[in-house]
Amino acid sequence: MSRGPASLAWRRLRGNRVALAAAALFVLIVVFCLAAPLWSSGVAESGPNATHTVEKIEVDGQQREVVSPDGTPIGPVWFGAGGKFFLGADGRLGRDEMVRLMYGGRTSLIVGFSAGLLATLLAVAAALLAGYYRGRTDTAIARLLDLAWSFPVLLLAIALGAALAAGGLKLGPIEIQSGSILLPILIIGLVYTPYVARPLRGEVLALREKEFMEAATAQGAGPARLMLRELLPNLWSTIVVFFTLVVAQSLLLEAALSYVGVGVQAPDPSWGAMISSGFKLLYTSPLLTILPGAMILLTVLSLNVFGDALRDALDPRSRADLEVHTGSYEPEREVVA
Amino acid sequence: MKKLGVIPAMIVLTVAAVLGLAACGSSSDGKKGGTLTVSYASFPELDPQLSYSSEGWSAIYNTYIPLLTYAHADGPAGSEVVPGLAEDLPTISEDEKTYTLKLRKGLKYSDGTPVKASDFRSTVERLFEVESGGSPFYSDIVGAEDFLEGKADSISGITTDDASGEITIELNGPSGTFVNELAMPFVALVPPGTPAKPVNNTPPPATGPYELTDVKPGRSWSYARNPQWEKANAGAMPDLPGGHVDKIEVTVVSNQSTQVNDVEQGKANWMFDPIPPDRIAEIKQRYDGTQYRPESSISTYFFWVNTTRPPFDDVQVRQAVNHAVDPAALERIYAGEIIPSQQILPPDMPGYEKFELYPHDVAKAKAMIEQADPADREITVWTIALDPNDVAGEYYESILDEIGFDATLKTVNPDNYFTLIGNESTPDLDTGWANWFEDYPHPNDFFEPLLAGTSIAPTNNTNLARFADPKLDAKMTELGAEPLSPEIETGYAELDKAYMEQAPWAPYGSRRLSLFVSDDIDMENVIWNPTFSGDLTSFQFK
Repeated sequence: MSRGPASLAWRRLRGNRVALAAAALFVLIVVFCLAAPLWSSGVAESGPNATHTVEKIEVDGQQREVVSPDGTPIGPVWFGAGGKFFLGADGRLGRDEMVRLMYGGRTSLIVGFSAGLLATLLAVAAALLAGYYRGRTDTAIARLLDLAWSFPVLLLAIALGAALAAGGLKLGPIEIQSGSILLPILIIGLVYTPYVARPLRGEVLALREKEFMEAATAQGAGPARLMLRELLPNLWSTIVVFFTLVVAQSLLLEAALSYVGVGVQAPDPSWGAMISSGFKLLYTSPLLTILPGAMILLTVLSLNVFGDALRDALDPRSRADLEVHTGSYEPEREVVA
Repeated sequence: MKKLGVIPAMIVLTVAAVLGLAACGSSSDGKKGGTLTVSYASFPELDPQLSYSSEGWSAIYNTYIPLLTYAHADGPAGSEVVPGLAEDLPTISEDEKTYTLKLRKGLKYSDGTPVKASDFRSTVERLFEVESGGSPFYSDIVGAEDFLEGKADSISGITTDDASGEITIELNGPSGTFVNELAMPFVALVPPGTPAKPVNNTPPPATGPYELTDVKPGRSWSYARNPQWEKANAGAMPDLPGGHVDKIEVTVVSNQSTQVNDVEQGKANWMFDPIPPDRIAEIKQRYDGTQYRPESSISTYFFWVNTTRPPFDDVQVRQAVNHAVDPAALERIYAGEIIPSQQILPPDMPGYEKFELYPHDVAKAKAMIEQADPADREITVWTIALDPNDVAGEYYESILDEIGFDATLKTVNPDNYFTLIGNESTPDLDTGWANWFEDYPHPNDFFEPLLAGTSIAPTNNTNLARFADPKLDAKMTELGAEPLSPEIETGYAELDKAYMEQAPWAPYGSRRLSLFVSDDIDMENVIWNPTFSGDLTSFQFK
């Protein structure tokens, strides 16, 4: 009995233990972040933005100040206060670091996934239109992508973030308030679109010449059907691989934007914003920087490793990668019809 | 016991006089020369008519000199008004409405243009033309309102005689503060023809010992010695210091922790800004008495609320906010570098009398909000992106949420913050953070620019609460017309309480500042003026 491509891919993926470990790690991180409300209400009894500057807590039978008079926050007390301030306080506002780490992860993951999804959706639409219609449509879309491509990602994202940080975005009926989480999602999604769209466009251009397209055209299929029912299914493996990689990159960019103050806005936590605020206390409370940094590292690492393995599993001959740091992309892949 | 003979005594006296004069006029005591490097966290306005921040005033204290100025001295002595470009303090008429001054002879701007008495009038007119936040201080000059409204070509209440150097200023009514106001940088003379638009990036020629050079907006600026100082101005103003270093280079370093590192490593000789709270304990421990010393300030840190629209047009809501703000929590946020207070007047200001109208009580604040049931609970909280004031803004946002509002925090770059919140066209100006350092040592300075109805302006607004109470305005005017006396000080104490009963602000304290210099600077001789902070003419290398 012959196996289908999905079954073969799953088999290959199952045999890659590193990939499975990465996937397990990522699931653990997601569960950790999803459990934020449970920990917040059931253990820490504090919201992510609740301040406890002048409060005292009982740690192992002793009263301790959450923030000392000289402004130093309490360090990790683990379960010494029944789980409250498990990782200590986040700074002079005396917010529970563990609660903020969990909620910050939710924000970072939401931004990362949403921006990744947005970039992928826009890229697929652009690639299908450009690759299918070719000619002027292709030229217009390709030049637009080139234009966005010509800016370094971080610089473009910071410029957009700074421009929109004060007044938000008003574009016809679309209105996004400054400080909204939708702004970093939109910015990151937009700046990463070319990096996904260009290789997909190349693939569409190649697929368009295949026999199955000629057969569908001969059967009277219109452009919409050809793009959505014939071309799109052949792009899935590439889309899935790019999606995982672009999510990882979006997480990093969210951290960078929040670090420079144009991403997720205070007081809402995100891992990037937590690194930024923790950095001020690097000399006295280095954990405040290390913990969110480690979470970003583990999340991005797990997604990248899993994405690479997924690519190998879906299409062992491909060598596609998302190289955004250098601003170059080498679409060295063979097209499978 | 020996007596000195006549000739030796004359020699000694002559030498002493020469040394004393030199000490005042050209600061030849101490080491001269070298380049002082300084860091500021933000780029201030350098246009003397527009500059209205402690950063800006510190930066132009020794470049643009008004007719009167403040003594180059530490502590209370630095609050004394002394002659600047004028020969002496003004002669005031019996009805206290006419001030007469005389310009010193031989003064020149740094480009060689002679300073004329009529430059004072053109400077005050320019102040109004550029819509300076400082213009309300001078609106009581006869004809100023007409000039402002375009009904007159010049201010009729200022008459000048370039030949004699005499300047006469007529006021609409007596003022207890006008001498102080004449010593503010707003009326530091600039040459006639200085454009009636902001010239922050191309500052006009200077009259002080230093001139501004090489201004790179948002990044840096420098000072060189004013070429006319030694030639003309030092001789004409021997009582003003000439400075020790030859050049001063100022760089904007927005991260205060980096500022600290730079001073520690000798990359910068002085950081203008206070040491960030997270570093203060370490710096005190390592450098107290050698490179660090605490400094006081006459300042009030507060949260303003926009009293012209819901929800803060309701006094009960404003009082609830005062009950919710905990100065003790903010003291920790500032790592102990703030003296908690819930009053408009700071502790060292004449007229200060301690009271406690709003003991911290969140439950009471919540109940008051419930009772007031404001129509609009979605509010925007503005704060500055400068530690620890940004953290204070976060704290404020969290307590507003706690008592029943849906607050959104907006954090703005320090370079634009006060311009943005002082512009009435900025949307969502509901409430936010601000601070006020004294312009001059008189309690009126904490009321008139900040809370008088006449101070509400479309741009460069300093009455951030947009608060106007005719009765309190009248009381303020009445007190401001009189020179300070125990009776007037009591009046100001009552005014402080009356304003706080209306709660246009939620004040939380007065800031402690600090001087932190590199190890090659002679810290002992650095002057910390209560209004202008670090005096650049006093810095010298060991």
